[in-house]
Amino acid sequence: MARSLAGFLVLLLVISICEAASLFQPISDSHRSAALELFTLDHGSFKSLEETYEALRTFQILGIEKKPDVTSAACRSISETVGSSSSTPKDLFYALKANSIAQCKIHEKASKGIISSLNAAVSGASSLLDFYYSVGGLVLIKDQSSNADIHLADAEGVFRSVKAFSQSDGRWRYSSNNPESSAFAAGIALETLAGIVSLASSELDQSLISTLRNDVSKLFDSIEKYDDGTLYFDDKLVDGREYQGPLSTTSSVLRGLTAFAAVTTGNINLPGDKILGLAKFFLGIGVPGDAKDFFYQIDALACLESNRVSIPLILSLSSAVISVTKKDSLKVRVTTVLGSNAPPLTVKLVGAFSSGSKDASLVESQELKFDQGSGLHILNDLPESIDVGSYTFVFEVVLQEPEDEKVYVTGSQTKAPIFVTGLIKIENSEIAVLDSDLGSVESQNKLDLAGKNAVSLSANHLQKLRLSFQLSTPRGRAFKPHQTFLKLRHESKVEHIFVVGNSGKKFEVVLNFLGLVEKFYYLSGKYDMELTVGDAAMENSLLVAIGHIELDLPEAPEKAPRPPLQPVDPYSRYGPKAEITHIFRAPEKRPPQELSLAFLGLTILPLLGFLIGLLRLGVNMKNFPTKPVPATFAILFHVGIGAVLLLYMFFWLKLDLFQTLKVVSLLGVFLVFVGHRTLSHLAAASAKLKSA
Amino acid sequence: MGKLWVILIASISILLPFLGNAFSPESPTDRRVLVLLDDSAIKSSHSIYFNSLKSRGFDLEFKLADDPKIALQRYGQYLYDALILFCPSVERFGGSIDLAAIIDFVDSGRDLIIAADSNASDLIREVGTECGVEFDEDPSAMVIDHIGYAVSETEGDHTLIASDDLIKADVILGSKKMVAPILFQGIGHSLNPANNLVLKVLSASPSAYSANPKSKLSTPPSLTGSAISLVSIVQARNNARILITGSLSMFSNRFFRSGVQKAGRKTKHEKSGNEQFLTEISKWVFHERGHLKTVNIKHHKVGETDEPSLYRINDELEYSVEIYEWSGTSWEPYVANDVQVQFYMMSPYVLKTMSHDKKGLYSTSFKVPDVYGVFQFKVEYQKLGYTSLSLSKQIPVRPYRHNEYERFIPAAYPYYGAAFSMMAGFFIFSFVHLYSK
Repeated sequence: MARSLAGFLVLLLVISICEAASLFQPISDSHRSAALELFTLDHGSFKSLEETYEALRTFQILGIEKKPDVTSAACRSISETVGSSSSTPKDLFYALKANSIAQCKIHEKASKGIISSLNAAVSGASSLLDFYYSVGGLVLIKDQSSNADIHLADAEGVFRSVKAFSQSDGRWRYSSNNPESSAFAAGIALETLAGIVSLASSELDQSLISTLRNDVSKLFDSIEKYDDGTLYFDDKLVDGREYQGPLSTTSSVLRGLTAFAAVTTGNINLPGDKILGLAKFFLGIGVPGDAKDFFYQIDALACLESNRVSIPLILSLSSAVISVTKKDSLKVRVTTVLGSNAPPLTVKLVGAFSSGSKDASLVESQELKFDQGSGLHILNDLPESIDVGSYTFVFEVVLQEPEDEKVYVTGSQTKAPIFVTGLIKIENSEIAVLDSDLGSVESQNKLDLAGKNAVSLSANHLQKLRLSFQLSTPRGRAFKPHQTFLKLRHESKVEHIFVVGNSGKKFEVVLNFLGLVEKFYYLSGKYDMELTVGDAAMENSLLVAIGHIELDLPEAPEKAPRPPLQPVDPYSRYGPKAEITHIFRAPEKRPPQELSLAFLGLTILPLLGFLIGLLRLGVNMKNFPTKPVPATFAILFHVGIGAVLLLYMFFWLKLDLFQTLKVVSLLGVFLVFVGHRTLSHLAAASAKLKSA
Repeated sequence: MGKLWVILIASISILLPFLGNAFSPESPTDRRVLVLLDDSAIKSSHSIYFNSLKSRGFDLEFKLADDPKIALQRYGQYLYDALILFCPSVERFGGSIDLAAIIDFVDSGRDLIIAADSNASDLIREVGTECGVEFDEDPSAMVIDHIGYAVSETEGDHTLIASDDLIKADVILGSKKMVAPILFQGIGHSLNPANNLVLKVLSASPSAYSANPKSKLSTPPSLTGSAISLVSIVQARNNARILITGSLSMFSNRFFRSGVQKAGRKTKHEKSGNEQFLTEISKWVFHERGHLKTVNIKHHKVGETDEPSLYRINDELEYSVEIYEWSGTSWEPYVANDVQVQFYMMSPYVLKTMSHDKKGLYSTSFKVPDVYGVFQFKVEYQKLGYTSLSLSKQIPVRPYRHNEYERFIPAAYPYYGAAFSMMAGFFIFSFVHLYSK
């Protein structure tokens, strides 16, 4: 319970934030547009007859004409349900409920059939819901067909068996074997009993009715309350299965109460405040986002609008913000919960209190003028004693006809928060740099706080900065706005904020830089100055850039506090990085090819010189062996040498070392052999020559 | 019987990894959301927002915040993919949920939406602090703006703010321009400047301040001006996304449906920007926008198609990657001109912006630097609002082999010439020496 209480409180706070005295608006067009959004068709019809009924009922109460056309689809499904013999009392109940609005034609024979089946269900019923559906169904048939003669045979017996579910605290049980009592069931039971009373062929025992009246007042003793004066019913959360939530529970109780009050003649004695509290509860919810909740709210409000106990009247303001400068008038409207006109009445302003203070009322009691055309109660000129600011106005609604007081309930007094706004006069604004020791003014600048300013000042840590201005209300009194800040912002975005204090009308702030150097983190440089003056009651709230001041502060000592980290601009944090390309190593410098070729030519020259020298010396081949065998060996020897040289050539071009060595080893053996034969032949030949 | 058990356990262990994962490119559509409420009436009073989530295929489960049965995980598996905390006044969660459980939930890559309100509980403030934002410490403080307030018939204390100071990022707020200002009523928060994961999405105007509207101010308020953040987002390093706001009522049907006129402006908008703003930003939070994935990361030498095991210095290579963005229903090609690849060894040797074919394929080609060692292809892509991409692939680079250098350099011709003329001379000399008389 505490949970839902706290939770609902949050919800109500959403509707009336920060206002102790809150006003409730009657149902308006926003409900109508929301209803069309919430009750949406699924393939041309609603999902169930229950939903059809809820939608049709909501549209009917709100007087929506542009509703989706569902009558034919609804009628088809109603006649199907009514004509079928397998329909349960619950189906029949909702079919008949939907039919009460859709007004379809039900076949005479089918109608006879359901009467008998519902009658049988009544006599065979064992739980509260069985009674509710079957009795409710019979009541609906009776209402819809004027000629049908429907009576409960044993009305008093049925009444007693339903009454048997009641508990001592005014709540009811769903069935005899379920010990949990609930307020939701109480609402259902009241509606059922009201149905039995209307179906009874003869007058019921009055003592039964009066005990029921007692039950109702006991039930209303268990009503629960929020801080803002709204009242509601709620059940204890036991297993969650049958738990309904405060909205449907309260709605059910109200429906039961209305039905019960309609069929009994005597007066049900309930305090008007409770009915008003319930009305405020339903209005305080705002516009529910759920079709079921929406129906509960609207249906309950319709019950409140038409019940026989008392009809609540709701006072609402057309605007809670009133401008003195524009000479707005205070407009109050008194309506029923669904927004229809109230009976003739007068609205009195009995008090006005400055919010936050508990002083005596600022105004004398006075009556608001009623404007017939608009239906508003108007106070044209606010009393002289009301200056700009926030107030709580207290209204009293007095019905003109004493007869109406029995029907309507208005609540003794209604408190409404009012904000009175106006243009604030700003004068004598100036900014100056003072010399600290003497207090003499070094440089002074007039400011125009309504326009643009570009003051350029400079100061060192021995000087002071003084900013002053005057504020007065349209009625010429002192005005203290909620927000009067002087902001100094350094180039590095470090900000310092000072509250500008006041004495009477004069506002002044003096910044002694000597005492502030530490706070300023010893940051010298340009500071931008900005003045903000704002209040809820001030129509010309302002945020002006005054200009800048060049501060020359001493060097920071070693242990001085560092300025706090400033947030980084998110846009600069991301984005592509600069491209990087690798710088390749430059290739080594080489001589031009011509040079290499020239030197290649030069390397050939010694060979040429050698050849020319040989020719000049007159070389010959006279020593070459003449005999065939040595000549062969000599040729082979030189071919071998040529082959080795050629091998070197191939080694240079493509062969690797191992291939080369392989061939060299073969050629080497060959060369040693043929070389030895050739050389030994030559040696033998020269020895023969010498000896000869 | 024993066999049956084995099969059962085996099938569970196969299935388990697929149950209860956070946003994953494999099953991005599976989104179960736990909504914790202070009171079940919020379900109805904020139904437009919830319905917009439901219509986008989210499976919302509403629970009261102090319900003793709530739990985020069971048997070590998370039951939800996202958590919505619409319970500003909760002092202690029911069940097994506490601050640490929520932090673990986010650490596992799941998403979170927090809405605080004036009189927010210490618990909700602590959750905010863990996410990198600091709500105003004064419990009765609200954001007040005497210049940028929303004109209202019923409220005159200027705590109902019409703000339009939004972050400029289409990925977060959608490409459709927000025309109407956004209504806000609640507490402000500031961002921790050292935390670069948290971003201000909706900030207050320079004239705003955070204070108790009912008491007089004698000391400067701790939060003023555009340093006040009204709505902030966090994208954690594991791509978990968090939305933090100090106003629960900005999600309400009343604010969604309400018209808005900013003080001092002539235009009155039929509908506030709340619905568009909060729907768009919830798309971001629930990864329907700005979530990138990469596939088909390829690199090869120019003119080849196979990926080599290593490159030689000075090779020409091509690198390509495909990047897709999740759109809520499918993976769409991601188009941007700032995706860069790095060829990295201790520091980037090459950093190049990739070109794309508008179908998600990003590619570039460059020459391997003439430095050998173990390199990495790195794509470190960070963009405001997008999940960060961090790809790296190791690849060694070798120097030239001995036979890959240049042969027959012209500058060496004189040496060759000298050697061969010497050899020719020797050959001739051998005849002269042996046979000349």
